[in-house]
Amino acid sequence: MTTFDVTKKHSRGDRATEPLIFEKQVDDVVGVDLPPLDVPETKIPTIMQGGSKTLPTFGQHDVMAHYTHLSDRNFSVDGNFYPLGSCTMKHNPRINEWGASLPGFACLHPLQDDDTIQGALRLLYETRTMLEEISGMHEVSLQPAAGAHGEFTALKVIRAYFADHGQPERTVVLAADTAHGTNPASCTMCGASVQTVRTSNGQTDLDHLQEVIADVGAENIAAFMITNPSTAGLFDSNIKKIADIVHSAGAKLYLDGANMNAMLGRVRPGDFGADAMHYNTHKTFSTPHGGGGPGSGPIAVTEELAPYLPVPQVMMADDGSFYLDRDREKSIGKVRSFICQFGVLVRCWAYISACGPNGLRNVSETAVLNANYIAAKLRERYAMPFFDPQNGNYCAHEFVTVPQQLLDKGVTLIDIAKRMIDYGVHPPTMHWPIHDCFMVEPTETESKAALDSFIDVMLQIADEIDSDIELVLQSPQESDIARADEVSAARKPIIAYPK
Amino acid sequence: MDYTQLNTNQREEMYAEIGIASIDELFDVIPSEIQCVEGLDLMPALSELELQRALSEMASHNHGAHDMTCFMGCGAYDHFYPALIDQLTNRAEFLTSYTPYQAEASQGSLQAFFEFQTQIARLTGLDIANASLYDGATAVAEAALLAINSTRRKEVLVASTLQPEYIAVLRTVLSDLDITITVLESTDGKIAPSTVEANMSDEVAGVIVQSPNIWGVIEDWDGCFSEAHKTLKTAAIAVFNPIACGVLKTPGECSADIAAGEGQPLGNPLNLGGPYLGLLAAKESYIRKMPGRLVGMTNDEDGRRVFCLTLQTREQHIRGAKATSNVCTNQGLMALRASIFMTALGSDGIREIATQCWNKAHYLAQEITKLDGWELIFDGDFFNEFTVKCPCDVTKVVDFCKSRGVLCGVAAAGRRMHGLSQGNELIIAVTEKRTKHEIDTLVDLFGEVAP
Repeated sequence: MTTFDVTKKHSRGDRATEPLIFEKQVDDVVGVDLPPLDVPETKIPTIMQGGSKTLPTFGQHDVMAHYTHLSDRNFSVDGNFYPLGSCTMKHNPRINEWGASLPGFACLHPLQDDDTIQGALRLLYETRTMLEEISGMHEVSLQPAAGAHGEFTALKVIRAYFADHGQPERTVVLAADTAHGTNPASCTMCGASVQTVRTSNGQTDLDHLQEVIADVGAENIAAFMITNPSTAGLFDSNIKKIADIVHSAGAKLYLDGANMNAMLGRVRPGDFGADAMHYNTHKTFSTPHGGGGPGSGPIAVTEELAPYLPVPQVMMADDGSFYLDRDREKSIGKVRSFICQFGVLVRCWAYISACGPNGLRNVSETAVLNANYIAAKLRERYAMPFFDPQNGNYCAHEFVTVPQQLLDKGVTLIDIAKRMIDYGVHPPTMHWPIHDCFMVEPTETESKAALDSFIDVMLQIADEIDSDIELVLQSPQESDIARADEVSAARKPIIAYPK
Repeated sequence: MDYTQLNTNQREEMYAEIGIASIDELFDVIPSEIQCVEGLDLMPALSELELQRALSEMASHNHGAHDMTCFMGCGAYDHFYPALIDQLTNRAEFLTSYTPYQAEASQGSLQAFFEFQTQIARLTGLDIANASLYDGATAVAEAALLAINSTRRKEVLVASTLQPEYIAVLRTVLSDLDITITVLESTDGKIAPSTVEANMSDEVAGVIVQSPNIWGVIEDWDGCFSEAHKTLKTAAIAVFNPIACGVLKTPGECSADIAAGEGQPLGNPLNLGGPYLGLLAAKESYIRKMPGRLVGMTNDEDGRRVFCLTLQTREQHIRGAKATSNVCTNQGLMALRASIFMTALGSDGIREIATQCWNKAHYLAQEITKLDGWELIFDGDFFNEFTVKCPCDVTKVVDFCKSRGVLCGVAAAGRRMHGLSQGNELIIAVTEKRTKHEIDTLVDLFGEVAP
């Protein structure tokens, strides 16, 4: 095992915080100029004049310096190991950025006639059909702007289907107790109520599922939202039975596709009985997370749900040309201003095309291999409730650890997380889906050396808890800032700089 | 290339460590009858060189603002933005990070979003703003929900002059929530305050008015909102163009409670409609019901000023079904672009852009109306966009200009505009990017197609 020397690259005490732009303003200096007006002036009526006058600017070099300094104060996939479970922080290929920035893609107005954007529509149509094939479902809509937006859109589609089939009373949605928070929140936005289904050992509790269905009344249930592999990083081996139970209640099975990274080319949701699902292109298909977006959340649905998809839909005509279909009689309508997150989908197309069918399968296999490898190397020191390779219980592309024996020595999960920051590792997802857990997702794009370094860091922190617990309790010591007072921030929120 | 990095030896070593003989053992948990045995029916993998060729080829079959002259608007505009925006936002530390959950490892993104929130609050003349939503339409829908959730009332009044896409999304979002949408009819292309007054009641959660509106006409926000405010608690919701805020009265100056809008004009390319960013600003009193990410200013344990995500108990990952919204991702990178744009230009720069838009749009309007048979449809003042009636079939005009390399505007017909005859109206937008020569050329083309 390598011993890490946390060298004093920079001493936090000496490192000045970056002033806010509002503290930097320089009068009569601008960051960028404009050409002089070349048409005759028309006076703006005084009564209409107004406008914001308090936005600061300063010289161009200082603009560059400001944002460069800010970028220095960020962990990122390119700079750090970033095993944020459920978020799939994989490598972002730059060919994708190159493609999306081509003027022939980036400079298209969303209301242009179809005949001027044939290349873009072809790319979208191909993306649509590729996502249909990967899902094993009938039709994909590319419109949703993010995963949660996809959930919302698909639930609207399901509700519209039932309303159209004389079953408007199906307004209850079931969700696992380990579901992403977006699942119940999306239900609320659709006017549906949520009933929780228990999981046991990370798998759906079939008895409880049937109990809930009986209690709620099968005739009132619209859908069961399931994440598979689950948010605990486990493939639900009962998924086919679950689909059968849900279908025999007359309801639809919704797959939260956040964890498609573990299934590409190995399992297709349509083949295990999913009726609708969303993708997260920023997770599964390598589009950059950008500090929290943009995402893109295409949805796939079965043939019976397809008539209700939002408009417009990208189509191929008999002559091989492409067009946007804005008239679907049974459509739920529109869910966003324009067509889709086009720039994100250019990246998605490029990624799927780069991988090809065998590559996609290798992506999932390697993601699962990497997670199991780390789990196998850490399980002695970091207890794992579900991972037990001796008995054939492996994880999917991510795993959960509840390091109880370390916590019992007097540290909290946060202490361990903050110590990871000292080692240049972004902490994993915490306290979710179960209390006091880390959820670790290394992704398939890390090298073995990077996986081994992470393992060494985790083992070293476990050692430090024994040898020098104060070091862990006082961490992070090497980061730009000490621990932030989030409690005060929420109690007396300041979300805009005072004038 | 699938971007994985393990060779065969390394894989074997890892199998041994886990205690498996082959990768398939890790997938044995999946019942064999649902496993994909045949493989996906997709095109074989492309190398990076082939990808460059394929992407260039598809891009070459598109024509837009890069190789034509663009006078199209209606919610997306061909504005100038400085080259430094691409350079800065492509920095890996911004591009490849995620939502800044860990304050100690994310001060860069957090401070940038805090600055963005402050800029948007100042731009709109309101107290607070969030870290962005998906786009203009979803921002308007969230603004309506904010008003509904704050008042627990069941009706919203919506100007018929709102962009039709925004009305459509409002209908989708509110349709299963037992909310009544009352559409306010326009008079001469704008909403009369008396129309607001006539539809007001203490059941109304919010009144939504867009200015400049879908015809380009500047609405009487002051008049409409003062009618709205005669009913206690009703929220005045201004749908705004951020560039117009550089020179025209802001939502705050017109006593709006909530402002929602499309942020694309601030430093973001047209991108065929996305990714864009939704802007949402409000008075301080709405802070605990705001949807989306919020960054707050606080101190660290050493007393240093730092930033962190805040009021997370509003959000879906804590609150589930009781969250203020299901929004999880903001449009981080787009918000960063907008923020850099505003920093590079400042109030004076945005004012200059807005003034040039005003002047160039008015110059074009004056020149067009000199042509026989071409007229402005509405008397109302406009900003960067206006509506003309063509003396011939609008499709003929659009196609003719297209053949000469000009995207001359957006034809109202087919856009499901509310409450106006859908004849030969053409909505034309002029940004600061358009030169006098380009404007004169458009006028010549109009003269040629309908002499």
